[in-house]
Amino acid sequence: MAAWPKEPRLIGTKVPRLDGLAKASGKAKYPSDVRPEGTLFGVVLYSPHANATVKSIDTAAAEKMPGVKGIVVIAGQGKKLRFQGDDIAIVAAETEEQARDAVRAIKVDYEVLPHCVTESQSMDEKAPQVFDGGNVRKARAIVKGKPEEALEKADVVVEGTYSLPVITHVCLEPHGLTAQAEGSSKITAWASTQAVTVVAGELAGSFNISPADVTVLTEVMGGGFGSKFGADIWGRTAAELSKKCGGRPVKVFLDRAQEHLAAGNRPSATGHVKLGASKDGKLVAMIAETYGTGGVRGGSNFPLPYVYDLKNSSRAHAEVSVNAGGARAMRAPGHPQGCAIMEAALDDLAAKLGMDPVEIRVKNLAEVDNVRGGRQGETINRTPMYEAQLKLGAELIGWRDKYKPRGENGKGVVKRGLGVALHQWGGGGAADKQVSCTINPDGSVEIKSATQDIGTGARTILAMITAEVLGLKPTDIKSNIGNSTFPPGQSSGGSTTTPSMSPPCLAAATQARAAFFNKIAPALSTDAETLSLKDGQVWVNGEPTMSWKDACRKLGMASISETGKFADGLSSVGVGGCQFAEVEVDTETGVVRVKKIVAIQDSGLIIDKLTWESQVYGGVIGGLNYGLFEERVMDPTTGVMLNPDMELYKLAGASDIPEIIVRAYETEEMKNRGVIGVGEPPTIATAAAIANAVANAIGVRVPDWPMSPRNVLNALASKEGKA
Amino acid sequence: MAAHDLKDDAVRGHSRRDFLRGSSVAAATAVLTGQATTAIEEAKAAESEPKVLSGELKITLQVNGESRSCTVEPRSTLLDTLRHRLDVTGPKRVCDRASCGACTTIVDGVPVYSCTTLAVACQGKKIETLESFDTGPAGVPHAFHQHDGLMCGYCTPGFVTACKALLDKNPNPTLDEVRRGLDGNICRCGTYIGVLEAALAAAKAMKGA
Repeated sequence: MAAWPKEPRLIGTKVPRLDGLAKASGKAKYPSDVRPEGTLFGVVLYSPHANATVKSIDTAAAEKMPGVKGIVVIAGQGKKLRFQGDDIAIVAAETEEQARDAVRAIKVDYEVLPHCVTESQSMDEKAPQVFDGGNVRKARAIVKGKPEEALEKADVVVEGTYSLPVITHVCLEPHGLTAQAEGSSKITAWASTQAVTVVAGELAGSFNISPADVTVLTEVMGGGFGSKFGADIWGRTAAELSKKCGGRPVKVFLDRAQEHLAAGNRPSATGHVKLGASKDGKLVAMIAETYGTGGVRGGSNFPLPYVYDLKNSSRAHAEVSVNAGGARAMRAPGHPQGCAIMEAALDDLAAKLGMDPVEIRVKNLAEVDNVRGGRQGETINRTPMYEAQLKLGAELIGWRDKYKPRGENGKGVVKRGLGVALHQWGGGGAADKQVSCTINPDGSVEIKSATQDIGTGARTILAMITAEVLGLKPTDIKSNIGNSTFPPGQSSGGSTTTPSMSPPCLAAATQARAAFFNKIAPALSTDAETLSLKDGQVWVNGEPTMSWKDACRKLGMASISETGKFADGLSSVGVGGCQFAEVEVDTETGVVRVKKIVAIQDSGLIIDKLTWESQVYGGVIGGLNYGLFEERVMDPTTGVMLNPDMELYKLAGASDIPEIIVRAYETEEMKNRGVIGVGEPPTIATAAAIANAVANAIGVRVPDWPMSPRNVLNALASKEGKA
Repeated sequence: MAAHDLKDDAVRGHSRRDFLRGSSVAAATAVLTGQATTAIEEAKAAESEPKVLSGELKITLQVNGESRSCTVEPRSTLLDTLRHRLDVTGPKRVCDRASCGACTTIVDGVPVYSCTTLAVACQGKKIETLESFDTGPAGVPHAFHQHDGLMCGYCTPGFVTACKALLDKNPNPTLDEVRRGLDGNICRCGTYIGVLEAALAAAKAMKGA
């Protein structure tokens, strides 16, 4: 059975990322930076209307424009355009300026149709039916126990409607790729993607060639958050244009507005919730009717009830279609929404009971909440872990000294409040990935896999594991990823990259070490069993005997190359975490400032503590954005998005960042579970904890996210009966 | 970021005040003075008057200490010229409208959003991108690397450049001054904690502390 080194030198330490200096000095080449000789620039023409049919499209004038080399029409005559930002055509020209001019010269005659761009517009009885099968698709309720009956018997019941808006991914590097076709048989693409192998498969499919004839390169990439798994129509069309233009490379990257409109978003969530408990704060039943929109694509369902033990519950979800871009997975899909609604209702119940929010949470954890342990068949009860996390988090935020019951936070204009929320996630690995490890006679070591680094530090983690096994420094290892022709690697999604890639990496390095020992043992006049590696030296019977480089020379002309596969016992799945927030609310302006956040997170065995902490900080700051700022604003009248930019679509800047305390819940029991991913879990509970802190501060629930001045002032007005 | 402060107009040399001086003021002067002076004034005015540029233009820019020539259009931004014509790809195009700071470039010592700066207006000016920064232990990039002030890294060039410009002006910033100095930049991965640590560490390192 495979196991991680018992006394690691590197694993669990803080190692700066291998490509950090290249990124911080502007020398790293992102897919959008690559401009092979002869590159043509592609610009997308997209729909200005929320719902329309293309009556006619005429590209004749555009084709004659200076510099134009090719045009592909995506939505020809008769085609439906179902949202603002829907693709119509792509122009390739010598310069981007020329391509933009040509896009403007394409004549499109639209039949503009009625639209629904908000949930309320779409759900209205008199709404135009703009989607096949109706605008609203309601699923049957999932019922557990006898919720109606249990709720009637409850000592206390709260009822509320909570909502979170659609938000967008805002990847800083836009979606796109540069494609170069070699005739009809081969394609090379420099793609900003979180899945090189998926992009290769998609491009191969559209050219009807083998994925082996497609090379997708992603040395580094500028953010995906779940929205960059495929080549998309933009990448496929870039490849088509390249073929059309005699194999000249064609570069298509979206503009910022289309990024917001068409390149993915996180669905909205609204929940009408009834939650009941007995006098002692033990939950007895929940009835929730929820809906959300994923635009033209669906996928708005989310987990509810969430985390807490409910013996009786009913949950019915309705999928609402609107004329807006389709949803895509976004960092812990569904969980921030489910967490926010559950935690708000639970907090409102605690306030009604006059109970401490931490106490009510501990009281409602399931007696047994088992997740996987270190090996198949082993389990770990998550409940004591949550309890320990809550205790630690409460200490770090100063709960005992600072917490005051809801609405008892003084008479001043600016009020302080505390909030808490729990979350959970999977984060396990896929078992079919591979890593190769090559030791060369010159002493260089290269590992390869068709995974990629979305920003989490995947490249560095693989180098650390290899260096750990070979007794080298991480910087001695060439960690070669981001190439679809390498051994099959994991997509960067679902917090699965590290747990999928670490086990085969450990296997590859361990196998390579064994082969290396066998090869050099005779040259050292010893047996392979007497050899070990440490500090860049080969040790014989515990004595440093020869430098790594000199030993590698003994390999002669032949390199050693081993491919490692997944093994059980090195990674696990199922994590939990808790977060506390302290906020300050100006009750005159409605401005919320977050003062402090505490995040406690478990994720099994941590490989690189530095990049692990960065991911948790990043998750918290992402959650702070969802909590305070982010909101896609649609105009019901014109059907367009009012903030497809980066000034009215608000994101936190340096001055918005509070004190953040991050702690790994990393007991021996947790370490023994092996590696678990952490990209997603720490972004789940933040927005919920912030909203609970706001309610605690001002004495009234702000039921709509984000905690913007408008939403805060509306809640305060409703408390005073002015709404 | 101070790039659009009026007080920096004199430094940047393409200000609204210059525009007014070059046009109406020169015309008014001509009416009030005699023939000879008028001719001189007119010649002076012609030099500073806005010129109408069109079509394709060959320009030379001083980028990171080198003279680089390329063909642009009058509307071509400094950012697109650097990235698409000169392969200087450190500065990134993200919002393309002066909101996010990823394109930050130092022009004549002042950090500007290169996505909203015209290339033709940068002729004769000293253009610095982060590729020219010291990557050794006393430099800003090193501090970002060591403190993990980056994840995907696409905003990083802008933060590093803004940080360098801030420290050049204020070698001893407080944490609040660092926050304000970097408020013209946006990160989506949420690396601000590492960024703030890196900026303070870089300030120390640059002083040789």
